[in-house]
This record gives sequence, structure tokens and C-alpha cells, in this order.
Amino acid sequence: MEEKSRVANILAIVPGLAVMVGTLFLLRTYVEPWMKDAVVLGQKGWLVKVLSLNYILLSIIAGIIYRNVFFGGRIPDWAEAGFRTTRLFIKSGVIMLGSLYTLQKLAKVGSIAILLISTFVFGTVFFVIWYGKRIGMDRSMIGVMGASCGVCGVSAAVATAPGVNAKPSEVALAIATILGFGIMTMFISPFIGKALMMSDYQFGAWVGTGILNSGQVLATCLAFNPTFAPGTAVAYGEIWNVVRVISIPFVVFIVTTWACKSEAAESCDATGQKMDMAKVFKDRFPIFVLGFFGMTALSSLGWLGAEGSNTLHLLRDVMSWIFGIGLVGQGAYIDFRELKRAGGKPLRVGLVAGTLKYVVALIVIMLFVSKDASF
Amino acid sequence: MSDKAKGKMTVFKTDRHEDAAAMVFVSLVVAFVLVYMAYVVPTITIKPSQDGKLVAVAVQPDQEIKKGDVMYTFEYTDKKFVNGQLEEKIATKDVKASTNGKVLSVSVKEGDALKKGKTAILVMDHEKGTLP
Repeated sequence: MEEKSRVANILAIVPGLAVMVGTLFLLRTYVEPWMKDAVVLGQKGWLVKVLSLNYILLSIIAGIIYRNVFFGGRIPDWAEAGFRTTRLFIKSGVIMLGSLYTLQKLAKVGSIAILLISTFVFGTVFFVIWYGKRIGMDRSMIGVMGASCGVCGVSAAVATAPGVNAKPSEVALAIATILGFGIMTMFISPFIGKALMMSDYQFGAWVGTGILNSGQVLATCLAFNPTFAPGTAVAYGEIWNVVRVISIPFVVFIVTTWACKSEAAESCDATGQKMDMAKVFKDRFPIFVLGFFGMTALSSLGWLGAEGSNTLHLLRDVMSWIFGIGLVGQGAYIDFRELKRAGGKPLRVGLVAGTLKYVVALIVIMLFVSKDASF
Repeated sequence: MSDKAKGKMTVFKTDRHEDAAAMVFVSLVVAFVLVYMAYVVPTITIKPSQDGKLVAVAVQPDQEIKKGDVMYTFEYTDKKFVNGQLEEKIATKDVKASTNGKVLSVSVKEGDALKKGKTAILVMDHEKGTLP
């Protein structure tokens, strides 16, 4: 009986997944090549060169259109299970990005990434707690918004929710606010990067610090420089992104401890026990990042083929497909009606905290991070 | 679909299961690619990793080559930030064989323009069990 339902669950994934794969296929095979040749405003390839539109950004846009136009604001039942594989693909893509580095390269920029990310993640969490209290937002909403704005729009909000007794609607609002903010920054960041003549290293560091979602970091970096290779914006941005993702359990601990202290013990955890850092770390550590480091280890040993080899080329091509599929799904989780509902205090906190982090990160990167490539 | 499943952002029981599934999925993908490239792929088409101009081809059809042998040399524009300034200079690069094998055909000649990932420079066979 259980076997049967497992098979049914797997089959339920097929329709939605087929939509995601089919969409990416059309975008990569027909739409992107057409855009590269299309003459707009008298310039060949204007859509790609000026608007930075590539299949990665188009994937997200297609997902948004599905959700908000074709699906009428809600992913239909027949496609829902398939679209829920979105994060599996994004996480798989992040793991595969580990092949862009060697351990030496990672160590070279890792310390700068840790310093910047720690400062911005925890600075944002404390800012949201302060600002949320000041404008009278609910404690549980402050908790999920703090985690969302500080570390990662989706994973951190979901991970923090039980500890601060947040309602599912509050988690959804936090996610919608942060993904909405991310969509905005995804389109304007490449223009800013090019206008300020940022190097790939600076751009990756900025976007990895200032944008709050793994998929959006990747899409923004690829809009700036569409190459998957060592030394490109996506290679640098992803180091920052991974360091940020690793900080999730620490943020969950801080936010939950704050919630515990600020309102009796009811929110400490399900059993009323005080939060224990070791337990939070054990329960919440995103173990897929171990896969990322595993790929870096394989790359360092030369087991994935030499740099520039056909083997690595094929591996990166497969990786770009995996990311693309995930990003179609990611777009379909952006619901404009939810964004509208998120209005009021959560939206205010999200926009202020997100913008502050984005702008301050830009200033810090421009002032203190050299343009010269680190590897 | 059950109400419990609705609204969840994963098809897995927990995030931890999803993380583990992602690692298993990537392991399978990587294993597939490595086995395919090492044992299944019949011939390899060598294409440039960046735009440039072919300076010299160091191999010819039917020639056996060893890992590390220079296959061709090309000229490209090297863009690099040095002390905060973008410097562009023309540089040349030797492209070496990443595995032992035999050149089957060469389809370019000196002076030809190379388009990143597009221009087929040469086709070669490679020793089974190695990664080309």
C-alpha cells in the first residue's frame, strides 16, 4: 500500500516537472538564440547586451508568468508536486558549483567572505529586530522577517518559524517580501555593476552579500557575466552565498533566543526547553553545503577533468540545465497577490532592511574590496 | 494531494531529506558524466574556451598525442584588473591535450578566427578510461 502511494507521489511530480523542463528547453533552444540576433533600437542583440536577458533570467520570468498569468495566482494541483522540486534543483546546482573551485582558491577568498557575510547577516537581523519593535510589528513576524532579511529569504524563514511560533501566513509574507525585493535587485544590479565598472570579483561579492536567495544570486551574477567558469561573477558570488547559507543555524539560534527572552518561555521550543546551540546546529545545518565542499575536493584532486576539458564543459552544461529548471520553479513561487498582501509593516521592514543591506554592501565592496581578481 | 502536502515547498518529508536527495542526485549526475566521458563518448571535438585567432596548429590528422602535448596556439585579448584599472593586452596561449589520444581531423588553419565554444578546431579519439 505504502509502495503504491510512493509510486503515485513520484508520478505526481511528472506533469509540473515536464512544464519546467519544457520551458527551459524552449528558452535555451529558441528564445535566447533569437534574442541574441534580434535587432532592437538599431542594435543587434540589444536584449541580451543591454537588458542582460539570458535564459537564466528568462526562466524566472517564465515562472512568474505561469503563476500570475496562466495559473491565476496559484499553482494548479496537477503541477504542484512538480514545482515543489524547485529547491532540489537549486540545491543540486549549488552543490555542482563546487566544481568551479579548488580548496586553495576557496581558502583565498573564504576569510573575506566570512567576515563580510557575518557582519551583514547579523547586522541585518539586529536591525530588523530593532526596527520591527519600533513600528510595533508582531514578535513572530519580526522573527521570520529578521531571518529572511538577514540570511536567506526562504530557508531561514521556514527554519525559524517553529521557534518563534510564526503562523504559515507570516512565513509566506516574509518569503514573498524577500523574493519580491530580490526580483527587483536581480534586474537593476547588472546595470549598477556595469555603470560602476565593477570587476567580476566585486560584483560577485556584492550580490552574494546583498541578495538574499541562492537562485537570485546566481541569476544576477549570470546576468552580469553569463559564463560558468573560475574567476567569473558567479564563481565569486556563490562563495558568498554558501557562507551565507551556512550561517542559517546561527541566525535561527539568535532569533529564537531573542523570541524566548522577549516573551516568556512559550516560544522557546515545542517542549518548553531553552534553545541549545548544539541542537539547533545539528537540526538546522544545511547539509547540502557539504556536497558543495565535496565537489570542491574532487575538483582539487583533478578527478573532474582538467580546467577547459570537454568533461568539465559537459558537467557545467548539465549544471546550467539543473539551475535553469530550478529557476523556472523559483519564478512560480513569486505571487504578486501575496506581495500585495504583504503590504504594510512587513513590506516596510523588508524593503528598508533589504535596501539598507544592498546599498551598504555596495559601498563597503567599492571602498574595501579590490577590483583585482582573487583567483 | 493531501492538505498537509499543500503549501510545502518540497516533495520530501523534511529539508534534511531534500538536502540528502540533492547530494545523491548530484553524485549520480557526476558519475554519469564521468563514465560517459571516460568510456562511452566516441570522439571529442576540441573547441576554444574563448574568442581569439589561431596562431598555429601543432598536430595533424592521424597523429598520436600524449597528455600535455600542445595541440594548438591561439591569440586572445586578456582583460584583467590591475591596481583597479582594466588592462587589455594581446596574449597567446598554448592549449594542451588533457588526455592521450589520436587526432582524427583538423578543421582550421592558421589565422582563422576562433569563436568561443563554437569553432571546431580538431576532432580526436581518446584513450578509454581517461577524461578528455
